[in-house]
Amino acid sequence: MARKDDDLLKQLLATFAVEAEEHLGAISTGLLELEKAPAGGRRRELIETIFREVHSLKGAARVVNLANVVALCQPLEEVFAALKRADIALARELFDLLHEAVGDLKKLLAGNGAAAAGPAPALIRRLEAAAGGGPAPAESARRRDVGRSSKARGTAAAAQPRAPAQAAAPQAAAVAPRAAADTIRVASWKLDSLFRQAEEMVSARLALEQRVAELREISGAFLAHQRELENVRAQLPAETAAGPDRPPGRWRNGHDVTAAGDPVDAQISGARSLAHRLEALAAAAARDNRALGKMVDGLLDEARHLLMLPVSVLMEPLHKLVRDLAREQGKEVVLTVEGADIEIDRRIQEAMKDPLIHLLRNCIDHGIETAAERRRRRKPAAGTLTVTIAQKTTGRAEITVSDDGRGIDPAKVLAAARKLDIVSAEEAQKLSEREILALVFRSGLSTSPIVTDISGRGLGLSIVQEKVENLGGGMTVESRNGRGTSFRITLPLMLAAYRGVMVHAGDQRFILPAVNVERVARVGREDIRTVENKATLRLGGQVLSLVHLRDALGLPATRGEGSPAFQPVVVLAQGGERIAFAVDEIRQEQEVVLKGLGAQLSRVRNIAGATLVGAGTPVPVLNVADLMKSAVEAGTVPTAAGMAAAGAEEAASILVVEDSITARALLKNILETAGYRVKTAVDGVDALTTLKVEKFDLVVSDVEMPRMNGFDLTAKIRAEKTLADLPVVLVTALASREDRERGIDAGANAYIVKSSFDQGGLLDIVRRLV
Amino acid sequence: MAVDWNAIRDRLKAAADALERGVAPSREEAAEILKARARALAEEEAGTGAADGGSIEILEFRLAFENYGIASSHVREVCPLKAFTPLPGVPPFVLGIVNVRGRIFSVIDLKRFFELPDKGLGDLNKVIILGDSMLEFGILADEIAGVRPIRSGEIQPPLPTLTGTRQKYLKGVGRDQLVMLDAEKLLADRDLIVHQESAA
Repeated sequence: MARKDDDLLKQLLATFAVEAEEHLGAISTGLLELEKAPAGGRRRELIETIFREVHSLKGAARVVNLANVVALCQPLEEVFAALKRADIALARELFDLLHEAVGDLKKLLAGNGAAAAGPAPALIRRLEAAAGGGPAPAESARRRDVGRSSKARGTAAAAQPRAPAQAAAPQAAAVAPRAAADTIRVASWKLDSLFRQAEEMVSARLALEQRVAELREISGAFLAHQRELENVRAQLPAETAAGPDRPPGRWRNGHDVTAAGDPVDAQISGARSLAHRLEALAAAAARDNRALGKMVDGLLDEARHLLMLPVSVLMEPLHKLVRDLAREQGKEVVLTVEGADIEIDRRIQEAMKDPLIHLLRNCIDHGIETAAERRRRRKPAAGTLTVTIAQKTTGRAEITVSDDGRGIDPAKVLAAARKLDIVSAEEAQKLSEREILALVFRSGLSTSPIVTDISGRGLGLSIVQEKVENLGGGMTVESRNGRGTSFRITLPLMLAAYRGVMVHAGDQRFILPAVNVERVARVGREDIRTVENKATLRLGGQVLSLVHLRDALGLPATRGEGSPAFQPVVVLAQGGERIAFAVDEIRQEQEVVLKGLGAQLSRVRNIAGATLVGAGTPVPVLNVADLMKSAVEAGTVPTAAGMAAAGAEEAASILVVEDSITARALLKNILETAGYRVKTAVDGVDALTTLKVEKFDLVVSDVEMPRMNGFDLTAKIRAEKTLADLPVVLVTALASREDRERGIDAGANAYIVKSSFDQGGLLDIVRRLV
Repeated sequence: MAVDWNAIRDRLKAAADALERGVAPSREEAAEILKARARALAEEEAGTGAADGGSIEILEFRLAFENYGIASSHVREVCPLKAFTPLPGVPPFVLGIVNVRGRIFSVIDLKRFFELPDKGLGDLNKVIILGDSMLEFGILADEIAGVRPIRSGEIQPPLPTLTGTRQKYLKGVGRDQLVMLDAEKLLADRDLIVHQESAA
């Protein structure tokens, strides 16, 4: 029996822990709001709310026999009762005391009763004294207990007859709107586990897809085999096919004879029916696969919605943090949060917690000035920190963290960057203010304008940016010197399904996280330059360092090193840096369920985890942040000087004129991949306008376009004095000889028919003409 | 507390039914049981003198040409080594990772520690998944010999000739040159944990 009671108590304690956390959160938030609220106004309502929360917490603690919690709640409740009666005033010292009490309550609750020694008697005495409005403890207040809480409320109303009691009632209703809504409480781990299992379905579906493909293949092979068998049978003399004990005459009809006749024919016909069944099965499996795919997608989508929570959950503890930090620094800071009702995936919120704290710390440490300095600058003594959450586009939220402090001094940032040799003296000259500010995200650069960063956090903002990018977001900074700094973070509302690009390197398969893959391309050998034994690649008008993925991973060279005409490369971006990685082969992009490697492989360099592909073979998923560092360590990444030398030769610029957006994107992509700078125009008129303001080395144009077609455009170009020598390539669906002649008449340098045009052909012609 | 007479009646009836049916093991079962008893008796005799009593169940497997044993209490499961994926940059004792019903396990090749010749991988290779509450990983076995109970007293302290890493994971040696590994020591060895920071 005693055991049963124990179990019950254990259960109750677990329930209490959840409830207590809620009360405590509400008390803490209420207290902070109360501190900010102007005299009059919402104060009464806030005091009422906090009073109720403390009271409920006390009641709940009493149920689970947590005497020490009750002991601390009691005087706390008395203080609020006294505040309600307006017996005592809200003073700064009182707030400090109340925050201290809440902090102690938190500790007591964390210690779960048994371990915690109990609240300091001194604190209780101070609270009691505060409730009494001075050193003398108020006898009446001390005698009040749970049962009489309604009376307490009555007293409050009676004490202030001018404020009608009804005023409190609607407020009370407003405090607990969530309880009224149609919701239930579910432990978050249950949701997590549910979500993980839903996610696991993706593996199952991918495996099924593989099975369907295999089934199709077998079915096809079987069918072919069957046909072959029938052919062979048709050529065989019946005597050989039939057993020797059968009279030959009956079997002359060959394979068309009924199954009852020839045993071989019977077998063949049986196999044929099997082949058909197999075919039908493969088709049915494909259908099932599609249906399952839809169901899994739907399930995952719903499951993802389960993980959406209002950001207020993330924001609530920040108030206390900001208050404490500001106190530590002897500064006054007011935090305002706007848009906390926007819902974001809980996992994103969890991942954003540390970066946000870091940003706030930064703002308080380095941004906001001391009260004295602020007064000198004619700013309000208390600094303002604003966190704004807004939904900008579908599926994305923007979080802005801004302060009204001293801002970031670009000159000091630049000086710090020069000192660390992040930028060269020449580069420094060319940087815009915006580009200079972006340097604060560079690893190693102190975020503080003062180079001797007392907090010693040179890595801070680069890590924040990395975390944001890992979540599929982006981050920028703006600053007005002396007026404030604002960090703008865009984030997805939901954690997107993890996608990856599968590549081959060193005879092994690897998955690169799709968020980091900026582009994939096949580049010609002439685009790769080797300077000081280090390779660079010109791609889309930019020069990137090129490292073989195999070398970065430390894998031995495998296949014959004869470099192919086209080298597949993957450009990876992370934390504002980009490196092109050469791979042996680029395979498909696919959904990935990332799995850990287990505790024995607690952290493996360059590897984030693994996923299962096809029939369940594990394939490593690479860690891009590590990979970039490994690439540098591998020693194959060239110096800035090498990059500059390789980039000296300016990429040729091409104007693509095409009215179809798809064809335009395709042409642009092909040409950019080959290393050209590409601009686009939507028709002949647009092209002519563009040509007048900008210089190009070549025009690639469609023929059939609205407003002005390709022939007319070519003619107009030839007619312009400044453009007369500009090479023009016409790309068209018109394949007739007349059209070709017309193109040549108009003065086009080349005429490619779309149906016959392959990348190689176009690039060949472009290369010859530029 | 009230006595549940119905439950008691049911139980008595079940017992009576069982008696009526009688216990009739199949011929093979009977042979197996007798053999097991004989083995147990024989071992008891062999074990006399070692007053420690108790026997433990071990999983016996081969590494290169040697016989190894490990207490089955720490063996989560044994599975064939089908497809494994090597990882770049890990210490050589990590063979790679395998998929066991949707979970990924790392596999350690003990031969690397014991300086045993590498026989190459074949169809007989198995992965023995070891685990405790903290850690789970697989060890590569060239071949599985089976599971059998051995008397604790049968395990002798290791010979001084066995030195180095092997000594570290050794529990003792049994008959037929059986080398008993200490699963607890393997699982507790921090040196087996791979924790690499990113490049500088």
